[in-house]
Amino acid sequence: MTAPAYRENARILFGTLVALAVWELLGAYTSWGVAMFPAPTRILAQAFADRELYALHGLATLQTSVSGFVIGVSVAVFAALVFCRLPGLELAFRGVNITLFAMPAIVIGPLLVLFLKGDWPQIVLAALMVYFPAMSATLLGLRTVDPRLADLVAAYGGGEGVLMRHVRLRGALPDLFAGFRVAAPLAVLGAVLGEFGSGTRWGFGAFLLSALPQGNPARLWGIGLAASAIALAGYALFLLPARRLSASSTAVTLAAVQPSARPKGGASTRRILLALVAVALPFLIWWLGVTLSHVSPIIAPGPGRTVMFLIEGRHAAAARAALGHALGQTLPIALLGLLAGLAFAFMLAALSLLAPALARGLLPVALVAQNMPLVAVVPFVVLVFGRGTASSVFMAVLVVFFPAYVLLHQGFTSVPKAASDLVAAYGGGRWKQLVHIAVPYSIGHLIAAARLVAPQALLGVMVAEWLVTGVGLGNLLNISRGGLDYDMIWAGALVSILISVAAYEGVGLIERRIAR
Amino acid sequence: MTFKQTRRAFGKTALAGLAAAAFAPIGLARAAGSPLAFQSIWINDPEFIGYFIAIDKGWYTEEGIDLTYLPGGPDVIPQAALLTGKADIALTSLIETASAVSEKGATFKIIGAQFQKSPDSVISLEQSGIKTIKDLVGKTVACPPLSLGTFKVLLGLNGVTEDQLKIVPYAFDPTPLATGQVDAVVDFMTSLPFIVEQTSGKKASYMLFYDFGLPFGQDLVTVSEETLKNRRKDIVGFMRASRKGWNEEIANPDKYVKEYENTWFKGNGYTPEAALFHGKVQLPLMENPNGIFAMDDAWIDKNLATLDKVGVKADKSLFDTSILAEL
Repeated sequence: MTAPAYRENARILFGTLVALAVWELLGAYTSWGVAMFPAPTRILAQAFADRELYALHGLATLQTSVSGFVIGVSVAVFAALVFCRLPGLELAFRGVNITLFAMPAIVIGPLLVLFLKGDWPQIVLAALMVYFPAMSATLLGLRTVDPRLADLVAAYGGGEGVLMRHVRLRGALPDLFAGFRVAAPLAVLGAVLGEFGSGTRWGFGAFLLSALPQGNPARLWGIGLAASAIALAGYALFLLPARRLSASSTAVTLAAVQPSARPKGGASTRRILLALVAVALPFLIWWLGVTLSHVSPIIAPGPGRTVMFLIEGRHAAAARAALGHALGQTLPIALLGLLAGLAFAFMLAALSLLAPALARGLLPVALVAQNMPLVAVVPFVVLVFGRGTASSVFMAVLVVFFPAYVLLHQGFTSVPKAASDLVAAYGGGRWKQLVHIAVPYSIGHLIAAARLVAPQALLGVMVAEWLVTGVGLGNLLNISRGGLDYDMIWAGALVSILISVAAYEGVGLIERRIAR
Repeated sequence: MTFKQTRRAFGKTALAGLAAAAFAPIGLARAAGSPLAFQSIWINDPEFIGYFIAIDKGWYTEEGIDLTYLPGGPDVIPQAALLTGKADIALTSLIETASAVSEKGATFKIIGAQFQKSPDSVISLEQSGIKTIKDLVGKTVACPPLSLGTFKVLLGLNGVTEDQLKIVPYAFDPTPLATGQVDAVVDFMTSLPFIVEQTSGKKASYMLFYDFGLPFGQDLVTVSEETLKNRRKDIVGFMRASRKGWNEEIANPDKYVKEYENTWFKGNGYTPEAALFHGKVQLPLMENPNGIFAMDDAWIDKNLATLDKVGVKADKSLFDTSILAEL
């Protein structure tokens, strides 16, 4: 270890110790600290007393998360390979993909509980949260081919099969692992959220639920931190191979042409047709599922009934008004949360170039905070941000910034060496490097991040509305669930998905304009 | 557990061939039982101890039932479990069940009431001096979104308008009450007052909805009309065994709460003291001279009056007392 690196690590360690000491003091010697922000030593003591429960619940969460992750990632990688070879199919499945991704977890949770038994509701929830980020990252990796390598394969007479085997799969690995890194903590969060609701006896989600009414903040924080630790372990697991890979696979010289992320060509009628299929397919699957399962339409109305619920009948006007009012409360805050989360992620990613030591010191705190199950931080959020807009925005930032940061960081570090060498050769420092190379180079990643986290922002705000503020769409869906008003729940889910899809596609349009 | 599985597997083969079932030894045929799934309304805590006792004592098996107990949770809507067929019998809440019947056309029947008086309460610290609903004027009250409609009706009945107090969402956590962020919370009085006293060292008091103009029962045993018709024998058996379980708990308070600390309640993180408090404080709300689950005419009328006040249409046909009559 070199001397500066040693000094840097010592500084990080010192910073961490100071932070812990301040936390300990606040937690032990202020009345609100004792009640809501327990000192680290108290959390540890409680966790030690609970160690047997931690083992039982932790093992259950681990099993659920791993099962969900493996299922989600397997489907994702398979789908990405298929979509890469058959871009038309990707266009056709676009609606399904985005729907799977944009379904708010707090809406889908109760629906999974209706139809699945045993541990499956929480496993499937974890898999659903994993699928889209893993699929899109893998697909991005497969598509991002250095055109010179493609030319090389073509010049030697290699077809798409050879290109896939020798270039795409190899080149996709860093992106694949970046996707896994985002997906692994999401699997844990999905599992915990599922366990919280499904009535299972074991798992950190169930532990949180039973600990909440006991007025034992040290236990609550301990469970939250332990769940966060599992999530982070998943993140770290895919960090190590990624580091090794990106060292060996970062392009050594600069390619003259930016790779295109979108498939080109194809007759316009065919594309319109595929777009129509993309829109129709989710509804078709919805209709088929409801029809084939023979479940009472009170619980599982088909697409037709759900749309009609908002259009005609004696309750339609009232339903529209309720939904409209809720959306008016939710959407502006979700947008605000999205922008704030992206800004925060950008700052953190930029910081990791400008002041790596500071970023490395901040990152663990950010990671732990982001991976705390949202329900565990509710008392603290209420304390700091109150029960208004600020706490909703904070919850949105909490779910948004981390996936965004991972993608941005990926963008910043995938800068070709030749480009950064150029700046260095002209005497440019870290700041110049950031402004002239890293930022322009990673603008695609920023927009990809915005698309990826837009639905998450909505989810974060809805969770806050459910548990903290009691307004908006999250609250409406919660009340409807209690009143067995599944027409409203499906209508709310439909509308929120449509909005997420619109946001996703809207950012996509901006992306294409910039790419031109 | 393994033994139970084998018996269940035996039951399946037995059902596959009628002849096999007919010639099966009586003991085994009884042990196999007919499968009945029971959807509870919350996670395992003393609220459901009567059923746990009946399961452990084998009283459901004695009635020819192979019972599957499904714990509840925030995402679990017991009425929905009845509609999907995931459960045959469920514990539900009055207002939600009645509105599912009148608004959505569900065919539910309430066949018994675990709680004669619902534990739904407004809970506050004694030092705040809140003794009636009127005292809530000018205060901040945390209320779960799902109880909001009922709570507002309660306020109205007691001459309090919504804008006279501040209502915030309540998310299962008693800390805001203990720290004084809110003056009162709406929750079951079965464990919260005890926990608040333990964590804050201040005495807590509660007002039952039941005593302030909104009398209704809770944890209502509910089935679909279809199940009631087709599985009458099993339903009667379920009610008989469950009542036996609750009577056993009433005869031996504390005994089973302690015994189940490491079985049924393991992992729920209750302190033994909180579990004992919960086990004891709930019993007076359940007991009835006519036995656990009783629904006499006066009680049914009270529940219907409450439904009328909260604006849900319902009549006597929501309740079916014929099962209770057969016990």
